[in-house]
Amino acid sequence: MKKVKVQAIDLNKTFGGGNDKVVAISDFNLEVKENEFTVLVGPSGCGKSTFLYMVAGFEKPTGGKILLDGKPITKPGPDRGFVFQEFVLYPWRTVLSNVTFGLEIAGVSKEVAKETAMRLIEMVGLNGFENAYPHTLSGGMKQRVGIARALAYDPEVLLMDEPFGSLDAQTRKVMQGELTRIWEKMKKTVIFVTHSVIEATYLADKIIVMTARPGRVKGVIDVDLPRPRDYTGKQYLRIRGKVLGLLEEEVMKSLGKTPRKP
Amino acid sequence: MTITRSQIIKPFYFVLPFLIVIGLWELAVDMGTVSSRLVPSPSLITLKFYRLMTPEPILLNVLYMSFYRLILGYALGVLIGVSLGILMGVSNLLYRVFSPILSLLISVPTLAWVPLLLVTLGPGEETVIIAIFLGSFFPIVYNTLNGIRSVSKHRVWAAHIMGADKATVFFEVLLPGSLVSIITGLRLAIGYSWRALVGAEMLAAGISAGVGQMIYAAKAFNDVEAMFAGLIIIAIGGLLLDRLLMDPIERKTVEKWGMVKER
Repeated sequence: MKKVKVQAIDLNKTFGGGNDKVVAISDFNLEVKENEFTVLVGPSGCGKSTFLYMVAGFEKPTGGKILLDGKPITKPGPDRGFVFQEFVLYPWRTVLSNVTFGLEIAGVSKEVAKETAMRLIEMVGLNGFENAYPHTLSGGMKQRVGIARALAYDPEVLLMDEPFGSLDAQTRKVMQGELTRIWEKMKKTVIFVTHSVIEATYLADKIIVMTARPGRVKGVIDVDLPRPRDYTGKQYLRIRGKVLGLLEEEVMKSLGKTPRKP
Repeated sequence: MTITRSQIIKPFYFVLPFLIVIGLWELAVDMGTVSSRLVPSPSLITLKFYRLMTPEPILLNVLYMSFYRLILGYALGVLIGVSLGILMGVSNLLYRVFSPILSLLISVPTLAWVPLLLVTLGPGEETVIIAIFLGSFFPIVYNTLNGIRSVSKHRVWAAHIMGADKATVFFEVLLPGSLVSIITGLRLAIGYSWRALVGAEMLAAGISAGVGQMIYAAKAFNDVEAMFAGLIIIAIGGLLLDRLLMDPIERKTVEKWGMVKER
């Protein structure tokens, strides 16, 4: 039995107050197992990013509990790594020093930091670009830096907020393959947020389908398929269809329509 | 390195309009279309520059005094402006206290302060230097604080999750992240303080020499050539200060980092 790494118990998150009050997440319960690749899918605005922000410690819950290794999460910290949709690299740092930043903060010696960073830069396929500034890179390359930076200081949990959402379709597919390859090597606990069912089914050990706002868990689907997965495989398509079915109802709800009956 | 076509053409296009204007100007004065008592010809102004340099290099002393005041006042503006801007940028309390005062004072033209300074500090160097300080302070403090406050939340979060403390976030994220805005403030402040310098020099009767003083003193002798010489110095001086001081800083930082477009 795998250990529970991240746990949400009756989690609630409300923004604003009075007439502007928005309930982003309510009565949200979830267990994320250690070394599992968990993907959250849900309609836009369902609070899936908000949940990730709370795991990161960027936002605080307004109710319920959120635990990491059984202890409440109170603030951000280097036991977690975060990959943003908009990359959020530091333009004044080169690729190398973006990746070493977390190690510098941890007080690792310059030589060790550089060695570690170079290994990660190689792993994400950016050899030769270590001295480039981010603005000279393409979107896909920037996100490779984002992933290397989040992994460099060896966090226990990797949080990814629609990391491929701003990439073009072709680059996106390549990055999904790359992430699978990297994850197989590192076997970290990953919580990945996306609204793409194709992506979710390709990457996940476990897919959590969320309801329209306020976000709750609508269904949990295990994806027990060998990697790398085939986007056209029979099993893959079967699972994808199942997830899509669950999600479609919620997307219609979020658009204010009643789901069509099959 | 070989010289490219654009390296010759670019400066040429910059100089060309001036050559045309100077040529037409000379022609208009020489043909008597414009009275040379009101507008001296470029050749007469050139002669004036020559006389300002020989036998005594009066012009050098004039420039030296003006630049000395400018550097002192500007440095003071940078020091206090950047410091207060940073404090207001990171502290909500200080922002709430100083922001209303700042937005009120920012609309006061620098020269409007000068009579008050003349009364309190006297007609000497202090008045001119403080006027320059006031001219540079407001754009610097305003742009610095806006720069710090507009650094995206995500950039700060990215540092927090890597375990960065407050000092690291400040030096590694907030400060470089607001550099574009800080440089804009420094650049605006050069223009403002240069204007304040010339104006205050005209009003402060107790100073011995300066570009503004030179123009103002020329009024007593109807010396329009000296006035035009002064105007040319002011225009070229302002441009050179902006280019020589700020361009290298921009090239080595925000331009290299792709945070602003290259010129």
